[in-house]
Amino acid sequence: MNRKTNIEESINLLLEISSLLMSSGANTKRVIDSLNRFAQALHFKSHALISHKSIIMTLIDIRTKESYTVVTQIPKYTVDLTIVSDISRASWKAIDSKWNYQKINQKITAIKNKKKYPLWIELVMVSLAGAGFAKLFGGDYLNMSLAFLATFIGLFVSKKLHNFAVNVYVRVFIASLTASGIAAIGVIFFIGSKPEIALATSVLFLVPGVPLINSFNDLYNNHILNGLVRFVNGFLVVLSIGLGLISIMLLFNITTL
Amino acid sequence: MIHNPYFVIFANSLWSGIAALGFAILFNIPKKVITTVLFLGFLAGLIKALFIHFEFNIIIATFFAALSVGIFSIPFASRVHKPIVVFSIPSIIPMIPGFFAYKTILAIRQFTFYKIDNVQRDRMLDAIFSNGFMTLFILFAITVGVSGPMLILGKDMTRRLKD
Repeated sequence: MNRKTNIEESINLLLEISSLLMSSGANTKRVIDSLNRFAQALHFKSHALISHKSIIMTLIDIRTKESYTVVTQIPKYTVDLTIVSDISRASWKAIDSKWNYQKINQKITAIKNKKKYPLWIELVMVSLAGAGFAKLFGGDYLNMSLAFLATFIGLFVSKKLHNFAVNVYVRVFIASLTASGIAAIGVIFFIGSKPEIALATSVLFLVPGVPLINSFNDLYNNHILNGLVRFVNGFLVVLSIGLGLISIMLLFNITTL
Repeated sequence: MIHNPYFVIFANSLWSGIAALGFAILFNIPKKVITTVLFLGFLAGLIKALFIHFEFNIIIATFFAALSVGIFSIPFASRVHKPIVVFSIPSIIPMIPGFFAYKTILAIRQFTFYKIDNVQRDRMLDAIFSNGFMTLFILFAITVGVSGPMLILGKDMTRRLKD
């Protein structure tokens, strides 16, 4: 293979790996570490500037000192810990068993096409989590069932909107509006002992846990800029959730919470 | 039996484990670690509830719960050969202070949207600051607790665990 195409192909593969990791919910340190391991396996030295929306990477051939720089856009963020786990594993294996370009490419394609959980399992499990939250905040079984129903429909709406190119904050707002609207039925008709708990917990499935945790992880690892971006991102999502909830409360004139 | 406080704590911890598992499925975790997440979520809920039962501050309770997740993750990680984040992130999601975050925003709503007198304004300001800082410090506690063990053990352990 021609050296020029070799370095070009490698950098495109490495950029694909890094943006896949970023969009699946890895923190910046993990992205850089995995990237360096893959680059080492391919006999390159990599330097990358990773921001929330794009990655700039320079790849240097260790022997010829030839370098190549490419900028890429990071696709839409969807948390997928299987991808994070498998790529991290693969990066160690690439070093230990000296994988070449073809082998890494094959592995990444396999990881990308791995099957996900079916939608109904996801919906039922997250709704159970919603019911669990209602229990944790002291609700009874009627509150829990209402939280289950609200989470179920709210998550379904959120998943459907995710397929369209809807702005993330609009999507969260609509999902929060739907979920709290269903839970508000309980407050209006006094279902269960503490209906306002079902209302408060119905939207908890939207809480941006991974961006917030990654935000602090980035801050501790001195990726301050990325940490702040993630924090603001999480804060805006919380704001959208709150806006949905507030709209429903103003609409049905609910004052207790 | 049902009103025994320890039984209530145990039952709530089980629900906390289920909540962790729910989020784990949403985050598409590998099938191999499902039981681990269930256990770690349960453990975190149990430790947090016990600390609160013995009248510790919720921030300290959350810190120790997250710390135990961080510590217990290490042997699990070396057994199933998966990076620690795969089961530590879902297990601590139920502790994310969503409830305090809403209370902050609801207080901001009351502060800005309604005509209220000075006494109520003071109360709302107090609610905004106490709930807002509670949210922030619980987040600190969670992240320091869960990533603390690996930060202390450092590079050598990272290499050995292939994290």
